[in-house]
Amino acid sequence: MKRLMIVLLSIFLLVSVLSFSALATKVEINFIEAYTNPNRKILLKEIISDFEKLYPNIKINLISPPYEQATQKIVLMLSTKQPLDIVEVKADTIGLYVGNNWLFNLENYLAAWPDSKTLLPAAWQLARTVDDTAYIIPSTVYSRTLYYRTDILEELGVDSIPKSIQELFEVCKEITDSSKDQYGFCFRGKNQQIDNIHYLVLPFLDDLNTTNLYRKTDGKIIWDDPRVVEALKLYVRLFKETSPKDSINWGFNEQINAFGSGITPIILQDADFIGACDETIGRGKFMMAPTPVGPYGKVYVILYFPSLSIASNSKHKEEAWEFIKYFLSPEVNAYYTKNNSLLPIHSVTFEDDPYFSSGIFTPWAYMMKHPEMYVLGQPPVVSPKYAEWMQVSNNDLQSLLLGDISVEKLVNKWVEYWQ
Amino acid sequence: MKIIKKFMKFIALMLYLILAVIPLYWIIITSLKDIKEVFVFPIKYLPQVISFESYRKLFVFTNFAIYFRNSLMVALIASFGALFITVFSGYAISRCGFKFKRSILISLFLTQAIPGFLILVPLYTMFAKVGMLDKLPSLMLLYINIMIPFSAIMSKSFFDRIPISLEEAAQVDGCSRVQALFKIVIPLTLPGLSAIFCFCFINTWNELFLAVMFINSDPKMTIPVALNSFISKIGVGWDILSAGIVISLIPTLVIYAFAQRHIVAGLTGGAIKG
Amino acid sequence: MIKSDNSKIFLVMIFPSLISVILLTFVPILRSFFIAFQNYNFHDLSNIHFIGFENFQAVFNSVNFNFSRILLNTFLWITVSLFFQFVLGFGLALLMKEPFKGRGVYSGLVFYPWALSGFALGLIWAWMFNGQFGIINDVLRKIGLIHQNIGFLSDTRYSLISVIIANIWYGIPFFGIMLLAALQSVPLELYEAAEIDGAGYFIKLFKITIPYIKPTIISTLLLRTIWIMNYPEIIYAMTGGGPANSSNILSVQMINKIIKFLNFGEGAAIGVMIIITMCIYVIIYLKIVSREELTF
Repeated sequence: MKRLMIVLLSIFLLVSVLSFSALATKVEINFIEAYTNPNRKILLKEIISDFEKLYPNIKINLISPPYEQATQKIVLMLSTKQPLDIVEVKADTIGLYVGNNWLFNLENYLAAWPDSKTLLPAAWQLARTVDDTAYIIPSTVYSRTLYYRTDILEELGVDSIPKSIQELFEVCKEITDSSKDQYGFCFRGKNQQIDNIHYLVLPFLDDLNTTNLYRKTDGKIIWDDPRVVEALKLYVRLFKETSPKDSINWGFNEQINAFGSGITPIILQDADFIGACDETIGRGKFMMAPTPVGPYGKVYVILYFPSLSIASNSKHKEEAWEFIKYFLSPEVNAYYTKNNSLLPIHSVTFEDDPYFSSGIFTPWAYMMKHPEMYVLGQPPVVSPKYAEWMQVSNNDLQSLLLGDISVEKLVNKWVEYWQ
Repeated sequence: MKIIKKFMKFIALMLYLILAVIPLYWIIITSLKDIKEVFVFPIKYLPQVISFESYRKLFVFTNFAIYFRNSLMVALIASFGALFITVFSGYAISRCGFKFKRSILISLFLTQAIPGFLILVPLYTMFAKVGMLDKLPSLMLLYINIMIPFSAIMSKSFFDRIPISLEEAAQVDGCSRVQALFKIVIPLTLPGLSAIFCFCFINTWNELFLAVMFINSDPKMTIPVALNSFISKIGVGWDILSAGIVISLIPTLVIYAFAQRHIVAGLTGGAIKG
Repeated sequence: MIKSDNSKIFLVMIFPSLISVILLTFVPILRSFFIAFQNYNFHDLSNIHFIGFENFQAVFNSVNFNFSRILLNTFLWITVSLFFQFVLGFGLALLMKEPFKGRGVYSGLVFYPWALSGFALGLIWAWMFNGQFGIINDVLRKIGLIHQNIGFLSDTRYSLISVIIANIWYGIPFFGIMLLAALQSVPLELYEAAEIDGAGYFIKLFKITIPYIKPTIISTLLLRTIWIMNYPEIIYAMTGGGPANSSNILSVQMINKIIKFLNFGEGAAIGVMIIITMCIYVIIYLKIVSREELTF
């Protein structure tokens, strides 16, 4: 009896010690996303649970604030030192977070990470956006490209896809016939119109400072340059003569519908457009082409890059880094981007993965191979004025398209804003 | 002449009804459409095929059932809590003879002039310091606080209508003041109190900004936050959003329908004469 | 006659409410007042200090967010919404005063908008006003009033009136319920006496009904004005204040300053302006309508 008691007691002690130590070593880390959407959340949870199977002592809590309030929530949490470990960072907040010392310097981690060698040069460049130091790592990298309806353009007898902005205007104008309800360019006027300007006006200059595209290499502001004025006039014509009047109110949903119904078979859009098109019209009916270049044969490619970072006051940086390594490894990254209609960040994925090296993704490969034509650049996203700028510029551009102000007045206003 | 009058009245009532019901009809219809029928032109006023796909997606792909439970819990507890506190407060303000009675009333009233969003950040830092973030009880506390001013003013006005002679009679019979409150006064103001409860429930059920900022973990989320998270960078997910709105309407409509009779009766001040 | 009673028990009863409001409302408001005079901007939290009235100046002089336009919009938003909410709500209450068959169900259906969240409602109306798929455009075209879709929410001429329409729809039940209740408390003998004297419908309305329910009218109008100003979720959900400030009002601008531009100092300055305006309004209003006790 006594022996039995001792054995049972020992077993009990052993089990408690083991479970206690298991509890003690189970680490909980908090991962807050900034681009919450229902589909992606499921994808993330899937990836997280796969990770947790590989690392049973790490548990990840996903915090998913609604997209419109995400930045404010992250800012509140970081400024009051809430326990956050992995933070998803939007491009327009990197400067803010680093400036407040909220992000951890990832250079050492990156140096010791084998997979970092296959990261795209663009990914490296973007990671080092602030202070030339990697505080973030992009989880995807893409820019706007040209999409077109292969079937509609064939019907309309268009046999060459525009390579330059001027060609874009001419092709769109040719196929526009408002009496038949057929237009050319799928405009987006509701919000983020400044992106249109980045792609359709900036290429008309060849001496831009690529770290701040709103300044020329001689330091002057670009907006009152006569070439910009000409480009803006073309922009207005593109809207007035090749796009439905209604498109000044179009957002993403309206664009999908217009592109899908064929009213406007040509559009400049981001990679997440692919998923929407797959759903509405199917992969076979559309194709991508490289972003149209300006008269100098160049276009400034502004990369969109949601990225991951580690909070500087995180108490579990090692564990956070384990997850980031996992999430951004070529295999998992390929899986994530494939299911989210995004682009991967490793060059090996483009070379080896059949999905990414063919079909509609070939334009991107072309663009990566010709950096002299497709020049990487950034508008001043790190400026504290940039958040307000998005709204201000949209207001002004709408007024411009409605004819309420002239091009001259607009550029003067913009020069003053960025002075 | 009378017939024409009746007819006009009927038309007017119908117009009001149609205007009131159209948005509800439209959101219900949208939730029952297949996703492909939502962004379609010409607009379909009746779905070709009734599809519960949006509802299925809502409950399978998001944790909507959990959010629903959270919202229900928070709204019920906050509403009962607010009601409980303000029954006492309203009664006290009604019956007391304090010199600063009117100032209390006016300051309660003036709190309504404060835009709630303004105090969000100071409240957040306050709660952060004492570690009360990401806890549903904290949210309940905040909601109770929001509901107090209006509920106290309302309940005070209901208690005002009850003659004090009734309580005095009860006290003569040996009741304490509090007992008189519960045995006599409250039963008479029950209609008004249910109006207050209804009002609190609706407002706490629908509150968005505090819930977004003060709650982090997914299992603690409430419905307004969940609905808001269906709006993403690429736009509004109308299928699950419309389904979510319809589902979230149900408890408020139930509480509202139930309390409706009491609300109207309650606001006329009860049935006491003399 | 209520006996003047200073029992300690009343203090105990009021205590929880007072503590709650002081701690969770007044203290944060005080803090916000301070912040309105500081350069509290999340873009740079390291150097927060007193800057006097700079925030207020920045708001007044803002080139991109025309202050006078915002003020005008705020004024229109409040007065137009209030007027139609009241008139239509009162009309509804008058129609429903006499019992009719199915009145219970009818009131349930016609008053339900009150139970909706302003935010959800804003989204629903935004969808109905949609420039491409909205039913409002569709119906207007079908009955021939317009020939081309109107971008209600993206046209600077129509955005304000669109959000106001949604707001009116939202506010009718409030007045409907409150005024109906008040109407039902008017003693019938008053009407009978008037009828004997040969009074017609409108005379009865203006000489008997309205004076009798005056306290309710006063209180509901006051409360509703404040709520319309301080609960702009409808605008936030429908247009976010745009396009080009055409539907921007003070409280929406405050929210934008805090959420989008992360400039809490300026946001607080706007908040302070709103509070002061509302307080002045309340005080003047109560003085004008004289010693009306706040009853319903």
